Amino acid sequence: MVSAAVPRAAAGFPRLRQVWRYRELLRGLVVRNLKVKYQRSLLGFVWTLVNPLLTVSILVVVFSHVVRIQVPHYWAFLLSGYFVWNFMLQTLTTGTWIFSEHSRLTRSVAFPSEILVFSAAGSRLIEFLAEISLILLALILLHHHGVPASYALVPVLIVLQVVLAVGLALPIATLSVFYYDMYHALPIALTSLFYLSPVFYPASMVPESLRTLYFLNPIAGLLTLYHEVLYAGRWPAPTLLLGTCAATALVWVLGYAIFHRYAASFAEIV
Amino acid sequence: MPPASPKLSDPAPRVELQGVSKRFYFYEHRTSSLREWFIRRVLRRPIHVRRAAFSLRGVNLRVEPGEAVALLGHNGSGKSTVLRLVAGIYQPTAGTIRTSGRITAVIELGAGFHPELTGAENIRLYGAVLGLTRRELAEHYEDIVEFAGMGDSLDTPLKYYSSGMEARLAFSVAVCLQPAILLLDEVLAVGDAEFRTRCLARLCDFREQGGTLLLVSHELEQVRALCTRGIWLREGRVIMDADIETVLAAYRAAGVPEPA
Repeated sequence: MVSAAVPRAAAGFPRLRQVWRYRELLRGLVVRNLKVKYQRSLLGFVWTLVNPLLTVSILVVVFSHVVRIQVPHYWAFLLSGYFVWNFMLQTLTTGTWIFSEHSRLTRSVAFPSEILVFSAAGSRLIEFLAEISLILLALILLHHHGVPASYALVPVLIVLQVVLAVGLALPIATLSVFYYDMYHALPIALTSLFYLSPVFYPASMVPESLRTLYFLNPIAGLLTLYHEVLYAGRWPAPTLLLGTCAATALVWVLGYAIFHRYAASFAEIV
Repeated sequence: MPPASPKLSDPAPRVELQGVSKRFYFYEHRTSSLREWFIRRVLRRPIHVRRAAFSLRGVNLRVEPGEAVALLGHNGSGKSTVLRLVAGIYQPTAGTIRTSGRITAVIELGAGFHPELTGAENIRLYGAVLGLTRRELAEHYEDIVEFAGMGDSLDTPLKYYSSGMEARLAFSVAVCLQPAILLLDEVLAVGDAEFRTRCLARLCDFREQGGTLLLVSHELEQVRALCTRGIWLREGRVIMDADIETVLAAYRAAGVPEPA
């Protein structure tokens, strides 16, 4: 009968069990995010597509006609990675401010606060699933003229992508509770990361000597996997897949640990 | 002045605080940015001045099922801190806190409400915030709607509600969920006279059915009607713990101004 009053007691799996107990809140927040975003907007989801598609078309024009990147069917290459990058960008950006945005909630209710970060990723994920379906359709019809067997890996990649995004967003969100510098630092970091990740060029263009360093960025591994699977339509090298899985797991564990170390004091600070 | 000793048949106290202290740190930020932090670190200047202030010192408290306890005291005496500690929002600096049963804490009315969602959607979201599953919420939903007594306006976005209606909705969710422990922080002053009367009646029912109530309120007449026991806090210490009439009399005698 007697239990600790505290749902934030333990680290690791007991914490995830807490999150599971609050799954209804996660669902509710995801639905809320989407509802608030799309209600009273006639075109709704179209806007979510227009913005990245516009960027993609500009990148296509610039990098196949001005700075010529030697990639056949450049549009298909760009489509297979850009939306993944966009998912990362938006999850990290919304995730950063999520605790101050929900400061009233954090100060007055005891709940596993990582749910807020999960919900930011969750609502983005639902949009992403719609986007990726359209992209897969376009690539099947116009690029591969068939369904490559490697597409079976797409669900695995999506899981990796979500885990990586949350693993990065948790410590960033934690830091920004204490240091408002994140507000200034994050856009710079994300802009650098855009150039340092294979978004508009393939990782194979990176000089061999720099490649180990280059792939320390786990997003680079993820995007390369997407390029292999979606654009090239072939199974990725096992080392790349396993390496990215390991890196993603590491980011998750570290990110969660950093978050967990400070989460109990959020209510006193936000 | 200890409270009436618990009956032998009582299994366990609902809420138990043993030697609980809570210290807050007020940071006088000498550094507000990483750049400054770095410069100060290099120059070996103090990075921030940390002043500790105790909000609670060595509080012992035991509340049995069916008790309604009012926390009294000046602003800043630690009343809300007690509620937040019991709710698990804060972690104690020292001591242990044990509770049994589900806790619903209403520290701020309508935290988690979103103005763009309708009243009905907000009920569901707030229920989820308080940790209910969909099925548990479905059991209480009719009751909440009926208690709030707002009928058609439940399909209107919350932003068109008056602040009174919004508070009423939040309060209805909290009192209708039938937790084991209900914590209320100065949220009783809600709605019109009719609604308040119903709230008081509902809270009395709750207590009589074995629910445990801890509340902070400055409306002493309401407290008298509702609570069985009073705890007077001053500067983070319990200075009096007795039945409500005794504590109220002493509290008033100490010349605490009473709001109208």
